[in-house]
Amino acid sequence: MSGSFSVQYTDAAVVGAGVLGCFAARALAALDIRVTVLEQREDVCTGITRANTGIIYTGCDNRPGSLKARMCVEASRSFDGLCRDLGVRFDRCGSLMLAFGPRAENVLRKKMGFGRANGVEGLRILGRDEVLAMEPRISSEVTAALYAPGTGTIDPWELGIAAYENAKANGVDFRFGQRLVRMEREAGGFLLETDEERIHARTVINCAGLSSDAVREMLEIPAVRIFPTAADYIVLDDTLRGFVKHVIFHEPEEKGKGLTLVPTVDGTLLVGATEREVPAGSRGGTDREGLQALSGLCAKVVPGLPLSEQIRNFSALRPNPYHVVEKGGVWVPADRSVNDFTILSEEGLISLIGIKTPGLGCAEQLGRHCAALAAGFLGNPGPNPRFDPMRRAPVRLHGMPEDARAGVISRDPDYGRIVCLCGDVSLGEIKDAVRRGAVTLDGVKRRTGAGMGRCQSARCMKAVMETLAEGQRIPVEDVMKDGAGSYVLEK
Amino acid sequence: MKIPVTEKTEILVIGGGAAGMAAALAACRNGKQVLLVEHDGELGGILRQCVHRGFGLAAFREDLTGREYAARFVSAVRGSDITVRTGTTVLSLEEEGSGDEDAFPCAEGSGDEDAFPCAEGSGDGCISRFTERSALLSGPEGLYRVSFDQCVLATGCRERNLGSLGLAGTRPAGIFTAGTAQQLMGRGGLCIGRRIVILGCGDFGMIMARQFTLAGLEVVAMIEKMDHPGGLARNRKECLEAFRIPVILRTVVDGILGEGRITGVMARDLQTGRRYEIACDTLVTAVGLIPDRTLCRGLERADGVLPSWLHLCGNCESVHDLVDSVSREAEALGRRL
Repeated sequence: MSGSFSVQYTDAAVVGAGVLGCFAARALAALDIRVTVLEQREDVCTGITRANTGIIYTGCDNRPGSLKARMCVEASRSFDGLCRDLGVRFDRCGSLMLAFGPRAENVLRKKMGFGRANGVEGLRILGRDEVLAMEPRISSEVTAALYAPGTGTIDPWELGIAAYENAKANGVDFRFGQRLVRMEREAGGFLLETDEERIHARTVINCAGLSSDAVREMLEIPAVRIFPTAADYIVLDDTLRGFVKHVIFHEPEEKGKGLTLVPTVDGTLLVGATEREVPAGSRGGTDREGLQALSGLCAKVVPGLPLSEQIRNFSALRPNPYHVVEKGGVWVPADRSVNDFTILSEEGLISLIGIKTPGLGCAEQLGRHCAALAAGFLGNPGPNPRFDPMRRAPVRLHGMPEDARAGVISRDPDYGRIVCLCGDVSLGEIKDAVRRGAVTLDGVKRRTGAGMGRCQSARCMKAVMETLAEGQRIPVEDVMKDGAGSYVLEK
Repeated sequence: MKIPVTEKTEILVIGGGAAGMAAALAACRNGKQVLLVEHDGELGGILRQCVHRGFGLAAFREDLTGREYAARFVSAVRGSDITVRTGTTVLSLEEEGSGDEDAFPCAEGSGDEDAFPCAEGSGDGCISRFTERSALLSGPEGLYRVSFDQCVLATGCRERNLGSLGLAGTRPAGIFTAGTAQQLMGRGGLCIGRRIVILGCGDFGMIMARQFTLAGLEVVAMIEKMDHPGGLARNRKECLEAFRIPVILRTVVDGILGEGRITGVMARDLQTGRRYEIACDTLVTAVGLIPDRTLCRGLERADGVLPSWLHLCGNCESVHDLVDSVSREAEALGRRL
């Protein structure tokens, strides 16, 4: 195949530009090496990262001694600093894990024990009255709760995009629309082939999300494979800002998933989550029974929650990793799903396979872990003397003090022109998002919030499409919603 | 830090559509100083994208398109003393001291006029000191605060959309509200698709079915949960019957199909429960309008009543069938100010 392309050389190739790939790239950029990221899609954070609750956990859910526990506690402690460096909004609102009976109360005690052993600070088990005083809208049937003051929420795209921008500013070469079709070992490293390029890399960091098992198996025999499940979520309008003040986890008395409520940094309220099987190769989509199950759970846990305020629903894919064995020519799960982060390091190929909760919050730790492994293969290169961990964050007008906002507009009148009425997003912010790499409507939405509110882009779609067309110098008919084939208009 | 008031007007009209223009014109004729603020780049509101006729039968005894109807008001506004700011958005409305009636016992209704001779009407200085009403505006001139005596909210309505219906399925491209479809086609001259399913058979859906058909697009079906089409008899006759639009009654859409671009919808017959696919490349939703009163948030008194200086008119007061009645009511309101 593509023998006609000349080979390009890099030290470290990252496959996949989700939040993990972006943080791996950022950590590698701190070394004095060349880093190339191959992403099959047109933008960062379009896979598993795009559907995530955005919860930053404290580490009381993870078994002491596990990699998850160690990274999660470390991430939770350092998250304020990371968000300051990257200019990302972070709300350490705390969480309550609710019990409605003895079985769940046992779970709370177990997690309290995990948390203490892991060194999580501030954990307390609260009685019914204390829970109701903190969150009066919780059902009075509640019997106890585990309070974790360190839990927080972020916007998952904001974090991933910030890591991308910072990695790029530090010299990482991001190649979009580059689907890896072949990889082989060769002298001094690996040859990676996409439909358009051939790249020789000395080490490969596989952050390919749902495809990370397949990418690894281009070189290795199957060991861990991903069997995804899906979760349904409902987004409620920011008219409900303050309905609950903490992240709410509900540990059900009976088998199955409980309710999760997340007050997002945007002021909306996220209601989740179900768990169900998905057909192989599915990109997702919500499920009718799943959504009905959520409203049933809400009626039990937060009976006054007006689900009529919903503005959208979405599904998230959980990339569950399983050790596999061969049976009759098919690779089948050998055991229950692997409970810890799975990081395989095989002669220069480093694979993150099936990283799920708390992977978002641990993205920086995981990235640094990969970079340390990669550095070993690269003969421990020195630090990049020009590395700057600080990102110049984009202007976000909404919530800005009035005098600061007036100053922004006086420097660039485009920031005075409001395009998205629901989210209070200006033309200036949308143009800036396009300059920073948004190439689709959803790319603009993830960067600015335009189209994410109650009217769901009904009022701003035309203006955003025109800005995208102008910024990329393409006809407006070529603007996509979210990736290949998602054209918004007919020619 | 808050920025200070740098401009004053007697009447602030928010929204330069049918309601806002009529209210502003009447208030101006009544000798008031009027500032008319429009979010969009031009006056006219939703009328600008209405290329069909049926406007002005009552107001002008003529059958006009929405654009023609709007143009008459736009030229009247432009010829008047009304100050117009287009491309300008009101971010918030506030009343200083409104939440502090105990601290400022001279506020309206305190009943202490003797002790505090500064109650409303007794002197400008005290009122403006304690109950100054102002709006924060963002536009090409910058961010600035305007104080006013009375405010007309004429922000129209927004459309219910698929998100609020709680439908299961994927979220591909090719799904539009009727208003967005109308805006893209009517004002942008753009083509939204070829084979269209319309969800909701009310006036807006029927008018768009006609517009799609006239533009050479195929309306595969209109899907309506009731057992009869909604809307005006006129539209049933002139849109559905005249263009033989297929309507599927007692049916809902309860799933979206397709990745990338929409490939179909899952319809469910409410009587039999049967679910079946309808192939299409575009879904247009016309499932209701919601008065847009976002700016009223936080201004309601404890009993839910809006302050006396804030007047709703047009579709943000209630959704109207005919623009002629919007103009008439707004004009009456403007005269009273």
